[in-house]
Amino acid sequence: MSGFTISRRTMLAGSAMLLASTAMPAPGWAQTPKKGGRLVLAADSEPRNLNPAIVASNGVFFISSKIVETLAEASFDGKDGLAPRLALSWEGAADGLSVTFKLRDGVKWHDGKPFTSADVAFSALQIWKPLQNLGRTVFKDLASVDTPDDLTAVFKFSKPTPFQLIRNALPALSSVVPKHIYEVGKIEDNPANNAPIGTGPFKFGEYKAGQYYRLTRNTDYWGKDEPYLDEIIYQVLPDRTSAASALEAEEIQLAAFSAVPLADLDRISKVPGLKVISKGYEGLTYQLVVEINHRRKELADVKVRQAIAHAIDKDFVVKTVFLGYAATATGPVPKNDPQFYTADVPTYAFDVAKANALLDEAGYKKGADGNRFSLKLLPAPYFNETKQFGDYLRQALAAIGIDAQLVNNDSAAHIKAVYTDHAFDLAVGPPVFRGDPAISTTILVQSGIPDSVPFSNQGGYKNDALDALISKASETLDATARTDLYKEFQKEVATDLPLINVAEWSFISVARDTVGNIANNPRWAVSNWADTYLES
Amino acid sequence: MSGRTEGGAQARHLSWATRRQTFDAPMTRALTLIRRRLVGSIFVLLIVVVGTFLLLEAAPGDAVDAYIVSTGGDAGMIELLRHRWGLDQSELTRLANYLWALLHLDLGQSVTFSRPIRDVILERLPNTLLLMVSATALSFGLGSALGIYAGARPGSFRDRFLSIGSLALYAVPGFWLGLMLIVVFAVDLRWLPIGGIETLASDKTGLDRAADIAIHLALPVSALGFIYLALYLRMMRAGMAEVWRQDFVLAARAKGLSRRRIVLAHVARNALLPLVTMLGLQSAQMLGGSVVIESVFSVPGLGRLAQEAVASRDTPLLLGIILTSAVLVIVINLLVDIAYAFLDPRVGAGEAGA
Amino acid sequence: MSALRRFLRTPEAVAGAILLAVLIAMALSASLLFPGDPQAIAGPALLPPFQDWSLPLGTDRLGRDVLAELFHGARTSLAVGLAAAAAALVVGAVVGTLAGFAGGLVDEVLMRITDAFQTVPSFLLALAFVSVVGPSLGVVAIALGTWTGPARVARAEVLSIRERDYVAGARVIGMHPLAIAFREVLPNALPPVLAMSSVIVAAAILTEAALSFLGLGDPNRVTWGGMISEGRAVLRTAPFLSIVPGIALVLTVLGVYLAGEGIVETTAVRRGLS
Repeated sequence: MSGFTISRRTMLAGSAMLLASTAMPAPGWAQTPKKGGRLVLAADSEPRNLNPAIVASNGVFFISSKIVETLAEASFDGKDGLAPRLALSWEGAADGLSVTFKLRDGVKWHDGKPFTSADVAFSALQIWKPLQNLGRTVFKDLASVDTPDDLTAVFKFSKPTPFQLIRNALPALSSVVPKHIYEVGKIEDNPANNAPIGTGPFKFGEYKAGQYYRLTRNTDYWGKDEPYLDEIIYQVLPDRTSAASALEAEEIQLAAFSAVPLADLDRISKVPGLKVISKGYEGLTYQLVVEINHRRKELADVKVRQAIAHAIDKDFVVKTVFLGYAATATGPVPKNDPQFYTADVPTYAFDVAKANALLDEAGYKKGADGNRFSLKLLPAPYFNETKQFGDYLRQALAAIGIDAQLVNNDSAAHIKAVYTDHAFDLAVGPPVFRGDPAISTTILVQSGIPDSVPFSNQGGYKNDALDALISKASETLDATARTDLYKEFQKEVATDLPLINVAEWSFISVARDTVGNIANNPRWAVSNWADTYLES
Repeated sequence: MSGRTEGGAQARHLSWATRRQTFDAPMTRALTLIRRRLVGSIFVLLIVVVGTFLLLEAAPGDAVDAYIVSTGGDAGMIELLRHRWGLDQSELTRLANYLWALLHLDLGQSVTFSRPIRDVILERLPNTLLLMVSATALSFGLGSALGIYAGARPGSFRDRFLSIGSLALYAVPGFWLGLMLIVVFAVDLRWLPIGGIETLASDKTGLDRAADIAIHLALPVSALGFIYLALYLRMMRAGMAEVWRQDFVLAARAKGLSRRRIVLAHVARNALLPLVTMLGLQSAQMLGGSVVIESVFSVPGLGRLAQEAVASRDTPLLLGIILTSAVLVIVINLLVDIAYAFLDPRVGAGEAGA
Repeated sequence: MSALRRFLRTPEAVAGAILLAVLIAMALSASLLFPGDPQAIAGPALLPPFQDWSLPLGTDRLGRDVLAELFHGARTSLAVGLAAAAAALVVGAVVGTLAGFAGGLVDEVLMRITDAFQTVPSFLLALAFVSVVGPSLGVVAIALGTWTGPARVARAEVLSIRERDYVAGARVIGMHPLAIAFREVLPNALPPVLAMSSVIVAAAILTEAALSFLGLGDPNRVTWGGMISEGRAVLRTAPFLSIVPGIALVLTVLGVYLAGEGIVETTAVRRGLS
């Protein structure tokens, strides 16, 4: 796991590193967690469906991961980067046709009923496979789940499925919901989707639209002495600038997911009583990517794509757009991934002269007005950083004689324009790397994906060699061989540039000094917070 | 904040209520007025609903596109969602269904909240009403008081100062005023909370809760109310200048009544009438202004809900909100007219509503 | 005494005219003083004002020159404000004239439509419209919420004008009703409609700013509202980024109000005398 540690360090480049070292939370073992207290934190969106078994997304996990637990959670030092939750162990058969889970004993649902393997079987077959946004791909070959006893669940696959993939999918895709609640009526209409019932350390209390979610302590939790907090209140603050003010005014104690704008961090880190933490998101890496529409004849030319890659000053992007809280990217797998990342790929140094030369070579000479051709550039509106990078990219392209017109859309219009109508030349997107390229990375470049699938290759790109690599990796059972294929994949993507990976970033938390046990796992913000506590 | 035109424009042309005709008893006039206005309003509401529906249909992306932003999903899942939310039906069918349901006073189900739209709106409406009413009370009360003060001595220093000062306030964008108020009073001085409608999950009741809400609304109400102050101040002042010249004031002056008495009992009272009309006219603008103010101060009201509805392409929800605000505006204007019918015997119901 | 001299005697009007003149000068000179793209990166990010005299007002989050943005933003504000106001006045005058002159069912229908637009909060309408059709049609969105005022005023004027002798005369000589409406009646109904233009321009500028503030502006052009919106993220670290464009907005709108009022008052007096 040494590679992991080093790459994690790389992630915290520049000023983030400095801040992290001064603001690292006190090591857990040095303190005795205190019981009680109400943690108030900022929430920037209000997910309407709180069932993480159906909607596996960080927005939902942020709230519901405290209520509904998964089979396993990501961990800094556990075996395979995992820590047990509802499952104590997991074992894959050599033929890739089955995976056996041993489950935790003595776990109760919030309504008092016991948790058993039947709940796992129900969740997997009735929800993850047919209904879950990510599970529909990963569990597509799941045929049945055997439950020889209450504490064993055996997943049977109709086609060999790499155990490595299933393992990597556990933290995000394996939320278990109670069978006895969901077997009545239509799953999508179940009231528990809005008021979830789980096994987690906190029970769903109430939701006041536009104001707050309240979670209360589960006194019957399986973890010894846990949870420490009495209550968690998510205060809805859709305006990204209000979180910082709310922290300063002591109205909230925690702002996760970079709710405090990056540009404000330097100042806020100097406010007494507040700490800035850049750890705890290693398992939630977002990638800053330039999506390319290969239907445009200019962009179908690899020389033009290389020229664009050379025109982007990645260091400037990391320094100015992300203020150091990011790392430059080399390819489709982020540097901080412990299993798949390889640095052995072609890279494109910032070199305007070379970019201009490449464009001349490709036959796109500068016109009288200094322009070679015009492009429509659509930055995704979901993050400040994607929009700002759009502003930067427009300037960077101007420097090599490409006139880019920015198109501002809201989220719905952006999704429609890019993934359904293909009405873009370049787009800026923030895909998420979810611990395994097969979960949501390969579809960014794979061909043959139907129209209108969001966050997939809708740029009309087709590369047979790459497609062959992807399909081979999806059926390779041996973890080492599979990993090697994905290294090959990274090389091919970096060579042919179906899209351009610019940077990788995670999020920042800002908290009061009194909040303890922050950021102690790689998916901390979306983990169960059973051990989080408040000093008085 | 937007459309401050309406105020200025209609100050000169008080279309809703200034027709003068018959001399019925006020009650009969009020009833006639209500009947006529209701009939007209139905057409207005129909135009509003159909227009909004068509506008949203033209929007790029639908509720499913907005939803999958945070989840992703494959082609099958997208189709499934479109079917579940009835988005695979034709536009005409959906419009017809909506209007049919509306006839039964059913606003439908919000796809994003998975709840009846009526409930979602009723939950937010009181907050917006509270914000609007308080802001209106502030701008009307303080505005007309300062208007009397300024208008009592036309052309004096205080008259000019108040008149220019309020105009300067009128020129301030509401969102910007809001931002500055937050920085000064909430973050630096910490006198007031930065946003929200009340302390979260505080379980306060009765007077405690009322006081808590008042504290939370102080900044948003100021941001919204101070801007429109100028409107009432300047109208009052202009109205007073006109009344000063009228015979009965001259008579009162000739009788040797004190200046203060003349100002309050004769001039101000008569100048107040057009301001009442203004209240009704401003109601739509206050609602519009509250959209941005609610966004800046995180107030869970109708305006912010509308923004969310647009972003998530929740067509029936936005229709519900626009319909609610339209009804609200119509009712407020009707109330203003009725009040007018009682206040001013010259107003008739004859042409009202044109 | 000429109207101009009367105008110059009112200090408020003069102050308004000066503010407006400065604004117009800024808008016209933007390309001369700050050639090239005002959104180009000009220096280090978040440089405070008055530190570097080549960047007197400092730089924003990406290192763009705030002064250049301010000048180019004046151009956008003015262009959008004037265009939206012109559209609102033209549409309003035409609708109002038609309604007032035709009367009957046409009047009824047009006035119901006007009512409908007036019943929906205009900012809500503009917000929905821009979200739907995109920021390129922001001018239309703003005009949508402002044309009703002019329409009502025009209609009221037309109602009083259409019974006058010269209109009856035009009818007698067999002029086409539309020709009468637009050649004889409309020109005479215009002055009170035009008197509203300053209020409408001001409202248009404010609405444009609010839309840009909510992230619905045109990203290829600098707008003051957009500058405030971007500056808001660093409101505490670099308050000048929000304060400078905010003050520019206030002064502009105030200038429009004051100058407009001055013009209306001076012309009103003249009309009263004649």
